[in-house]
Amino acid sequence: MDKSFHVVLMYLLVHFGLIFFLFPNDIISSSDEGQWMPILIGLIVHFVFVYIYMRGLSFLPEKNIIHIYSEISNGLAVFILLPVFIYLLLTNIIGVRAYSEIVTIVFLSNTPSWAIIVLLLLISAYLASKGVEVIFRTGVILAFVIFPIILFVLIASFQNVDWRYLYPLFNDDFRFITNPSYLKSFSAFTGGFLFLGFVSPFLTYKRKKVLIAAAILIPFFLLAVYIPVLTFGHSTSSTFLFPYIMAVDSTYLNWLMFDRVTMFFILCLITFIIVQVSLLLWMASQIINHWIPHNPIYSVVTLVIIIFITSLMITNWETVEHLLWLNSFLRFYVIFTVTLSIYNIGRRSKRKGLS
Amino acid sequence: MDEFLIKIKNKFRNNDDLFLQEEQILDVSVIFIGFNTLIDLTKTKRTLHKHIANAISSKKTIGELLNELGEVKEEDMTEAISSIMKGKLLIVIKDQHKYVILEPVPKLLSRAIEKPTNENVLQGPLSSFNEDIETNIGLIRKQINSSKIRAEFFSVGPEQKTKLSLLYFDGQVDKKLVEKVKLLLEKNQDRELNNLQDLTEVLGFSGWSVITKFNVTELPSETVPYLRKGRIVLLVDRFPFALIIPCFLWDMFTLENDRNFPIPLMTSIRTVRVIGILITLFLPALYVALVAVNPEVLRLELALTIAQSREAIPYPALVEIILMLIIMELIIEATVRLPSTIGPTITMVGGIILGQAVVEAKLVSTLLIIILAATTIANSTLVGIQNFLAVRFLKYLMVILASIYGVLGILGGMVLISAYLASIETFGISYLHLNYEKEGTKYG
Repeated sequence: MDKSFHVVLMYLLVHFGLIFFLFPNDIISSSDEGQWMPILIGLIVHFVFVYIYMRGLSFLPEKNIIHIYSEISNGLAVFILLPVFIYLLLTNIIGVRAYSEIVTIVFLSNTPSWAIIVLLLLISAYLASKGVEVIFRTGVILAFVIFPIILFVLIASFQNVDWRYLYPLFNDDFRFITNPSYLKSFSAFTGGFLFLGFVSPFLTYKRKKVLIAAAILIPFFLLAVYIPVLTFGHSTSSTFLFPYIMAVDSTYLNWLMFDRVTMFFILCLITFIIVQVSLLLWMASQIINHWIPHNPIYSVVTLVIIIFITSLMITNWETVEHLLWLNSFLRFYVIFTVTLSIYNIGRRSKRKGLS
Repeated sequence: MDEFLIKIKNKFRNNDDLFLQEEQILDVSVIFIGFNTLIDLTKTKRTLHKHIANAISSKKTIGELLNELGEVKEEDMTEAISSIMKGKLLIVIKDQHKYVILEPVPKLLSRAIEKPTNENVLQGPLSSFNEDIETNIGLIRKQINSSKIRAEFFSVGPEQKTKLSLLYFDGQVDKKLVEKVKLLLEKNQDRELNNLQDLTEVLGFSGWSVITKFNVTELPSETVPYLRKGRIVLLVDRFPFALIIPCFLWDMFTLENDRNFPIPLMTSIRTVRVIGILITLFLPALYVALVAVNPEVLRLELALTIAQSREAIPYPALVEIILMLIIMELIIEATVRLPSTIGPTITMVGGIILGQAVVEAKLVSTLLIIILAATTIANSTLVGIQNFLAVRFLKYLMVILASIYGVLGILGGMVLISAYLASIETFGISYLHLNYEKEGTKYG
């Protein structure tokens, strides 16, 4: 059955979670002016890889990447899927740890972070153990409830914008490309579309609609960076860990009974993170399931326990930053190997089919 | 005496309402057997005499007459007993081991068709189902004048069979779904079927799901549109309502009767119901979260007002709200239990507790009373008692999570409930389906 709608909403949802937290800080600290240029380069990379990935997958319909690799050879499957698995696990560990930190900073200062991690992981584990269709359906309900709130906050966050901060528009200094922060910012550009290759026997989707979703994301990529820059100016906003959230925090709405719009915004994003974590968990359990067939509940529970213990071992934000940095290499490796190999395998099988 | 009669007598011993009456039909002595609690004997005899008179005038033999009255059977003991149980009249021919099962004039043991008792209708057809399954099917046939309605009968139960009927609209319904349901009903024929929990088991659903997998309605006018949309309707004998499967989340907010109003009004009525579920789930939880965990979210003035209203209250917000919610549940339960003559007393006493005394005694805050009232009212806007109960139940999950994690807990609860709803499937059809009608016709 065609589930493009579900896939598109999930695509948006996962990317929203990635765009609004760490991404603005990474971009702002990587380049002093003309931030649209690094964003543009990132977006081009995003589009190219998404396109190649989906093109490769479209040659091999009704199969997910685990099947595709293991049909060619088991060695290849291990060679590619093992890094993918480690990447998924590491992303989950960092994600859970980082967001529990944010929650503690912003509004639960008395709650220990392990308790928050437990909540995040329990809900994700419940979702992941129910299977991919349930995750996507949940995504749809949440999108319906939460997208209006996100749009509202986005509009409200224009309140303190000073358009003069837009200048200088151009930046002839391309050193940002080698900046570690810029490489980290690719978590938003390339971290969210791997799931497209996993869902195919359960859900099918139209390539064009996913590309439209990617196009819808363009303004959000820009706004997440430009709203804090336009509100505070570059030099101030580069000192914040979460510039966009600070920008939202600076707004004041006279008629709203709540003092902090930020809180609702962060909460909305955290739901997306929960959905994303569950999706990654499910993907990881699928990889395990391919070699050791079992009830997904067991692997999900095992993974959750591993993630919980590991994330407790991360004691401070510096370690999180360090892991993010390490993870960005792994991500590049995974994205390059997976997309390019899928494309090649797809092309070859198409040629074989033709001859 | 006849061996056959003795057997029947033995089978029904200690039943004083069983009658065995000797009669003469065309000079042959026969015996009438049946329950006088189920059969109106005088009227039945009157009709029978007309038949006999006819037979005499057209010079029929006793054999011909009996064939005319019903099927003539021989020796079949189980058939005879089950017919008597069903309220049929047995005419046994003496010394011949033959009997005829006759459809008598029954005693009126069912209600007349009345107004619905659990669902109120605004500007719509009023007749509702009653306990008799045949009447119910008749009501449905009356409501929809179509040759495509199919009604199949099943009987489920180990000894005492419960009649069950499966209705669907041929051409609209997914054939595979009908086959699945039929297969299950046939497979589980020997299961006990006394209540809806049994039926849930017969159909192979889990009994632990908070959300029931049937949509229940007692109005033929609500049932028929579902049939037309490709759903299956189950009617169980002695249950005055129709069970509709599969059932979806959206059914919680829609009534067919809404369509008797203009579209803008219909939309706003349905929006009110959606707001109703949101308020029921979020408001009590938000109170706990904002008072106990995250007061800084609120505007300072508002936070102060709330703090002031809770000034002298000696326990935490969670205890406060759980206490009042339980009292509210007790009031709701009590009003259901009590006869309508004493019911108003409960309302009055409850009103006194909730309205003034509890606040003046400084046991709970005034704000909580407002929230409690709003929640209870909002909860009642949902369509269907089973949905009303499910949402009422789920709100506690939210309250408890909110008391631990504050606003984050509410959010976690929301994700959990969404995930739970998303995981419900009826015969492979998701609970969150929005346009089943369109896709349903594809399979037809």
